[in-house]
Amino acid sequence: MSTLPPEKAVLAPRRSRRSERRATAVDSGVHYPRWFWPSFATPGILWLILFFLLPLYTVLSVAFGTVDPIFRSPLPVYQPWWWTTSHVAEGLGKATGLFRHVYARTFVYVFIASAICLVIGYAVAYYVARHAGRRKTLLLVLLISPFWISYLMRMLAWVNLLQQDGYVNRILTFLHVVPEPVGWLEGRPITVILGLVYGYIPYMILPLYGFLDRIEPNLLEAGRDLGGSPRSTFLRVTLPLSRPAILAGLVIVSLPMFGDYFTNTMLSGSPSTTMIGNLIDDSISSTGQGPEAAVLILILMIMLLIPIWYYLRSTARAAEAR
Amino acid sequence: MRPHPRQRYTRRDFLQRSAASAIALPSLAAIVAACTKPGEENVTGQNLLTPRPDRPVTLPMEIDPIATDTPIEQDAELVLFNWDAYVWKPIVRRFIEKFADYNPSFTAVTTFNNMDEAVAKMQAGQIEADVFFPTIDVVPKLAISGLLQPLNHDLIPNMEENVWPQYQNPYYDQGWRYTVPYVVYTTGVAYRRDVVSDDEIFGMDNPWEILWDPRFENRAGVYDSYRDTIQTALLKRGITDLNTDRQEDLDIARDELLAMIDAVNPRATVNGAYKRLPQDEFDVHLAWSGDIAAGWGYVPEYTRDYYENLGYWFPEDRVGPIDNDCIAIPANAPHPRLAHEFINFMLGYKNAMDNFSWVGYQPPQNETDPGSLTTTEGLYSLQSGWAEPAEYVLPWMEAAVVRESDFDVGYRQAPLTAEVDDRWHDVWQQFKAGVNAST
Amino acid sequence: MRATVERATLPAAEAPRLGRMRAWRRDPWRKPRILSAVTWGYVAWSILPLSVAVLISFNQGRSNASLQGLGLNWWWGDPDLSLFRDPELHAALFQSLRLSVTTMLIAVPMGVAFALGLDRWRGRGSGTANFVMLLSFVMPEIVLGVAMFLVVAHLATFIDLGTPAQVVGLVTYQLSYPVIIVRARLLSIDKEYEEAAMDLGAPPRSAVRRVLLPLLYPAIFASFAIVFADTIDDFVTVRYLSGPATSEPLSVKIYNFSRSSPTPAVNAAATFLLVTTTLVVVIGYLAYRYSSRGERRDDVARFAAQI
Repeated sequence: MSTLPPEKAVLAPRRSRRSERRATAVDSGVHYPRWFWPSFATPGILWLILFFLLPLYTVLSVAFGTVDPIFRSPLPVYQPWWWTTSHVAEGLGKATGLFRHVYARTFVYVFIASAICLVIGYAVAYYVARHAGRRKTLLLVLLISPFWISYLMRMLAWVNLLQQDGYVNRILTFLHVVPEPVGWLEGRPITVILGLVYGYIPYMILPLYGFLDRIEPNLLEAGRDLGGSPRSTFLRVTLPLSRPAILAGLVIVSLPMFGDYFTNTMLSGSPSTTMIGNLIDDSISSTGQGPEAAVLILILMIMLLIPIWYYLRSTARAAEAR
Repeated sequence: MRPHPRQRYTRRDFLQRSAASAIALPSLAAIVAACTKPGEENVTGQNLLTPRPDRPVTLPMEIDPIATDTPIEQDAELVLFNWDAYVWKPIVRRFIEKFADYNPSFTAVTTFNNMDEAVAKMQAGQIEADVFFPTIDVVPKLAISGLLQPLNHDLIPNMEENVWPQYQNPYYDQGWRYTVPYVVYTTGVAYRRDVVSDDEIFGMDNPWEILWDPRFENRAGVYDSYRDTIQTALLKRGITDLNTDRQEDLDIARDELLAMIDAVNPRATVNGAYKRLPQDEFDVHLAWSGDIAAGWGYVPEYTRDYYENLGYWFPEDRVGPIDNDCIAIPANAPHPRLAHEFINFMLGYKNAMDNFSWVGYQPPQNETDPGSLTTTEGLYSLQSGWAEPAEYVLPWMEAAVVRESDFDVGYRQAPLTAEVDDRWHDVWQQFKAGVNAST
Repeated sequence: MRATVERATLPAAEAPRLGRMRAWRRDPWRKPRILSAVTWGYVAWSILPLSVAVLISFNQGRSNASLQGLGLNWWWGDPDLSLFRDPELHAALFQSLRLSVTTMLIAVPMGVAFALGLDRWRGRGSGTANFVMLLSFVMPEIVLGVAMFLVVAHLATFIDLGTPAQVVGLVTYQLSYPVIIVRARLLSIDKEYEEAAMDLGAPPRSAVRRVLLPLLYPAIFASFAIVFADTIDDFVTVRYLSGPATSEPLSVKIYNFSRSSPTPAVNAAATFLLVTTTLVVVIGYLAYRYSSRGERRDDVARFAAQI
């Protein structure tokens, strides 16, 4: 009330008395009724409950459910007391036994792809944030563009380029890098890994850029003034500062990679490069394997629980810090 | 306005209102059904669901076919539910034009990637198609569950006039109550003749083994279809029951498939035989005869030289996998009368042969002279001025021609029981996951 | 100064060249050539395949891999398969656009309201709601897609597979984007504007509508553009929830074609969509700029930071 200019004081007392009688929010000086803001959130909450939480529960119900005797389609069982654990037990057994290789392979692919994303992404973000100068806007536009360009179209472009008679092979043989055309699409892990990098690296670059852009230049100058070379300033000041952003970027990039299946299907199609996503995709479209697909999804969610929890915690912390 | 407490909405009101709008009720039914534990129902006679050539089946007919005097629907949007690239669009448009008086329309075929997906969507009631093109193995269970409607024979006169007589009484649908045959085909091995000579593969003791030959590492392919690929492994080991329920056989197949991964790192494809092998991405590929017959349409340059690179092997004594696909009408077809007309149209000799020229798959038409297929040019080739002429079946892949007599000696792929099907799917899953027995 | 000292200690003959290199390496304000090369190399790697794909759409021949002369064959030349003539591609394009617009119109208002609610809500439950919203943001799309498919196929069977189910799935997946973007913006908005409005006699809803919302326009426009662009590209969810052929958007068609036999008409369709989306994004950006005029003007950077 003391912040009001004198002219407003004439009107203010009447308003404030009325709002004081209503239950008020704790916000200083702004008196909204208590139900006001939650009501804004209600449609979103309802939607998420119905179409996010309920489907997740349905996945549980299918995993612990049964299968139609004739059509072998999944029959979800919604009451926990009627749940059957046979499919879950079978699925867990397969995950730790038969499909161990698939899980291991996926981890390896995601790890390598994320590492490549980090190295390239950090370099690019660093350059754009700190050294781009006049070209900054242009570079940013080019960096954002993958977000609105169809991912599948870019992937299809690569499929065409990597074909036996595609331009990649033509250039490589022309430059004598390889003696004869390489079969890139013949089920090679390197193609799949580079495909993953290509698809998800924009998710690494932009947050890193956002962070590096906001670093106080004073900190860096201080580092140099204290006698450090550019390299040591980078290693001892910039890098440690960007650790949370790096970790967040790694999480954002690796989470979708774990569920990715179409990169492998389009760029390889060989059983020797199958990923977890392929297992899920195959089983959801095979009869009789509905519960198995649900179990695979549950395992995936549990696997990703830790990175997800880490990301949520760090976001919350960052929000509070602001 | 808040209602008076006495006038509060009762649960009955809600149910009545939603019954009128028919929105909540289906879901309500699902929810109500969910309140009872889903149990194992009594399956009506496993034998009905698993016909065999020596154990033919007459499918039950709970509902009657549509009446012969049903009028043809007006302004119908024809919905075909089929594999991708399995029916030639100009033929469908020819049908639309023929019935222009009734103003039908057609946009695109509604496709599925595999039969499991198709059945799942039909069973969930999520597809309302006029015409469906099933494989034999799903026909019994679809018919028994009432998802197909019986055909009115009077509306499809071409069936008795034009089609091979054996299809009046196929083992899976005696008296052709629900299906007519669409195309016939054999399953063999497609190969590039510039890498493998005809003599080489036809001279092998066991040509199925060529898919395991390390010479073709990264250049071998199989279909992304569990029945066809697993049966190939069985045939390689001399097991001829393509519907086996013996676990020993399935174990052998699994071991063979895993060995294939070690030997050649195969890729499981959908278009490997008709598109990618002609494009020189594969040297050998498991193939249906129709796929490789249509392969000439996908070579890099449309000259005879390129056509000559495509080859097809099938046992010379014709003792190998042979089968047919079907056409049926779903029970919930929006335009069943038009669907009958469409089926009759597709069974006409000219339409069937023109479709053949593009699809590559041979129709079981009486009027076809099998011997002439390697010397006659089809409509698609005639229309394709940008390509050198190509016969229905190129002369050097004569093995792709199917004759009626082949069905007397060939092996057929029949429906499996649910339990056996699960075990086949298990083997397939292990193969697809690239599980290596060696590591 | 350090450089000259270095030079003096070297043999005279080598000194100039080596010294210049050393000077370059020691200079803290030098241009980072390696980083520059990496960056531009990355940009090329990122954009070039796309240019080739666009170029192929103007291919004269049938091949997807190599250019066989230029022509508008696949745009409207070929009577059956070209973009202009093929009803299947039309249907796919329209479906993509329809899904994007519908999702955008549902998700952004709901998301903005959600953001406002979450940000200002001080009671119990806000933390949980926040958590669930963020969870939907980080969940891999395949989980959401399969879960939605199971629900639509077994529980909520009144939602038809096809456009209705796809819109529901897409909105769920996209809901968190506007929330995050708007909340970021909310942090920079002082409460004093609403305070002033309410003190001037405005009821709470008016204060929000006439004061707060206009301040949020930049974030709202950014959300519209981002949700639109993200949905056009969406593949996993719409594929599981697709029904009849006409409900398959272009992304699913491209995927199917990659497994069967594409013609350059697919490239043409994708190029068309690319142009459309670029237009929408540009419009969104311009609206963003217009509505945030008078504020700091490193716009693209701020726009990028929203993502």
